[in-house]
Amino acid sequence: MAGIEISRRKVLAGSAFLLASTALPSIGWTQAKKGGRLVVAADSEPRNLNPAIVASNGVFFVASKVVEPLAEASFDGEDGLAPRLATSWEGSADGLSVTFKLREGVTWHDGKPFSSADVAFSALNVWKPLQNLGRVVFKNLEAVETPDANTAVFKFSKPTPLQLIKNALPALTSVVPKHVYEGSDIAANPANNAPVGTGPFKFAEHKAGEYYRLERYDKYWGDNAPALDEIIYRVLPDRAAAAGALEAEEIQLAAFSAVPLADLKRISKVAGIKVISEGYEALTYQLVVEINHRRKELADAKVRQAIAHAIDKDFVVKTIFLGYAKPATGIVPQNDKQFYAPDVPTYGFDVAKANALLDEAGYAKKDDGKRFALKLLPAPYFNETKQFGDYLRQALAAVGIDAELVNNDSAAHQKAVYADHAFDLAIAPPVFRGDPAISTTILVQSGIPDGVPFSNQGGYKNDELDGLIDKAAETLDPSARIELYKEFQKKVAADLPLINVAEWGFITVARDTVKNVSNNPRWAVSNWADTYVET
Amino acid sequence: MSLGRLFRSPEAVAGFAILGLLVAIALLAPVLFPGDPLAIAGQPLTRPFQDWTLPLGTDRLGRDVLAGLFHGARTSLAVGLAAAAASILVGSVVGTVAGFAGGLVDEVLMRITDAFQTVPGFLLSLALVSVVGPSLGVVVAAIALSAWTGPARIARAEVLSIRERDYVASARVIGMHPVEIAFREVLPNALPPVLALSSVIVAAAILTEAALSFLGLGDPNRVTWGGMIAEGRAVLRSAPYLSVIPGIALVLAVLGVYLAGEGVVEGTAAREGQA
Repeated sequence: MAGIEISRRKVLAGSAFLLASTALPSIGWTQAKKGGRLVVAADSEPRNLNPAIVASNGVFFVASKVVEPLAEASFDGEDGLAPRLATSWEGSADGLSVTFKLREGVTWHDGKPFSSADVAFSALNVWKPLQNLGRVVFKNLEAVETPDANTAVFKFSKPTPLQLIKNALPALTSVVPKHVYEGSDIAANPANNAPVGTGPFKFAEHKAGEYYRLERYDKYWGDNAPALDEIIYRVLPDRAAAAGALEAEEIQLAAFSAVPLADLKRISKVAGIKVISEGYEALTYQLVVEINHRRKELADAKVRQAIAHAIDKDFVVKTIFLGYAKPATGIVPQNDKQFYAPDVPTYGFDVAKANALLDEAGYAKKDDGKRFALKLLPAPYFNETKQFGDYLRQALAAVGIDAELVNNDSAAHQKAVYADHAFDLAIAPPVFRGDPAISTTILVQSGIPDGVPFSNQGGYKNDELDGLIDKAAETLDPSARIELYKEFQKKVAADLPLINVAEWGFITVARDTVKNVSNNPRWAVSNWADTYVET
Repeated sequence: MSLGRLFRSPEAVAGFAILGLLVAIALLAPVLFPGDPLAIAGQPLTRPFQDWTLPLGTDRLGRDVLAGLFHGARTSLAVGLAAAAASILVGSVVGTVAGFAGGLVDEVLMRITDAFQTVPGFLLSLALVSVVGPSLGVVVAAIALSAWTGPARIARAEVLSIRERDYVASARVIGMHPVEIAFREVLPNALPPVLALSSVIVAAAILTEAALSFLGLGDPNRVTWGGMIAEGRAVLRSAPYLSVIPGIALVLAVLGVYLAGEGVVEGTAAREGQA
């Protein structure tokens, strides 16, 4: 039976090959889909490469090829998902359990078979207790039952919306092998630096400061996948270097806007190089002004509204993002089709109104033209966040607020803002991950312990919003849940616990020879099983 | 030394001319460009010589490059002079104490000096600024931290020879306190060779400040030439003038300080040679 299937596959592949070769006669018989080495730029070397613990794009960029989630985001799949390790998922009517059917015939890179025990172990021992995002989404996960090797039943102590679980599948459910992690200190396991997974590529080596190398996993479960033999991540921390390396054909692809936006216009005209803005739809970054509500001036909603009116969002989009962004209207980005609410209070650029609001709040201009002074901490992760810091200082000066910029490196910035609360305003780039409950509501919710990055560390507390967040967390009906989040967006936009300025996806720049690029909404952090280099 | 002698060499003349211009620019900056030089003044990325209200164009946010250049001169000169003054002050005090006290004090102070000299100065500055956080005072302290060893060594060498002179011995005889002798009799005479070092220190301090700013460790609330170069680097291929203009200013400033310093030293040497 298996033999027949394989031969049918071969026939199909063969005919596809014939079609391709007739369609492109100039390339002729040299065109080979299989094989090839893809060299891409990496701008950072994460200390921990375990995506089940650190669900962040820097980690996924490398690790998502090695360690797979239960499902991946998809442009045309049902619910916007494409199955990976799970083939189907079903929720119970009471919202207390979700049943996953798992893929058969999957093996780990060390040869051991993959089973539901791995999923149960990952969920209960890694995602729920250790993962930055899983702590929130899986907080009511009580047990995972494994009636057989290919079924995992998630049991929740409180009703948990299936909609949320589905939206969380791509980013939060990287499955790690139980036999590697069991009985060890999971956070310190050496496999965190050399991950073992079920993905299309095996982790081969990492030379610090030079490269990561992944090689093809021949026993991958996917048909004719992976197409590439090897992926090399060349560490190029200098953003200006990526463009040069692409032109010199030292690398073939630079994702996550490794090529500076200011260089895109020029490089798009270079022959053999394409600039692609698709493939980041499920990874929308938001440019946000975080506010420390412990400052008495900033605890006044009028002051926050004045600051919102002082920011020219169009200028920010045009000048800082060179048009590769959109002005934000609220806490959910516009490209989210499920949850986005357009009818929220907005704050147009209006210096006179900002000044009037500040006067009204009782902070009149003193003799030197200033009202009060603030500390402004721009996050150092992106050029754009730093530049927006420079801009915001000027925008605030125009309404009489004297902002002093404080620059820190990443570690010091996170400590200052999220642990020590030593800021008045900070600029952050949080990510919207397809569902407000994953990484967005914690920007507003109160009662989050000190030190949790990208969460409400500004001391903001609004019982009404907290109530909405709690209610939505256990509302099972998808449309009722969406309504609650629309209400949430309106209230956030009215009270401004934080100010959303812009939202952006990244840009991929690749050589024309790299095919199947950006074919899903999380492409840069997906498994690249079908990507190949034409030779 | 007469001014005529000072201006004898063309290098010295050029040096003083550049330095004078620099000082004038720094002093005139708040008059010619009142207000915040970091304010957004026009269309972003206006090229130089296009718009005569913004003669050198604007950067990526639309800030006036010429205003940045003028106000940057203030920062560069202020940091250069303050760092040089601080390191000469600390260095000559340490050198004088070491040389005059001798013995264990000398040993200890000189080994500390050695320790500071073995660490590359720029790394030391980098470490201090990244730990304490970037602000103008910290940058000055960081530069002085790595630059005080030179003056200390020279001061000590001078003091070692001066302390054997007759007038020092007579000061001892009349019962002056050793501290008084060290700082009223010895130090003033040990100072000229130390001061000759100042131009080198100022030039190095300007460069170190620019390098720190370039790495994002300058005071972000002030314009600095190093910061301007760093800002321009992202658009180096499409708008090179943003890095080139402050780069030229930096080269000229360092050259001017250095040539003027050379002129002073040569002038002094000529006088001594004649005498």
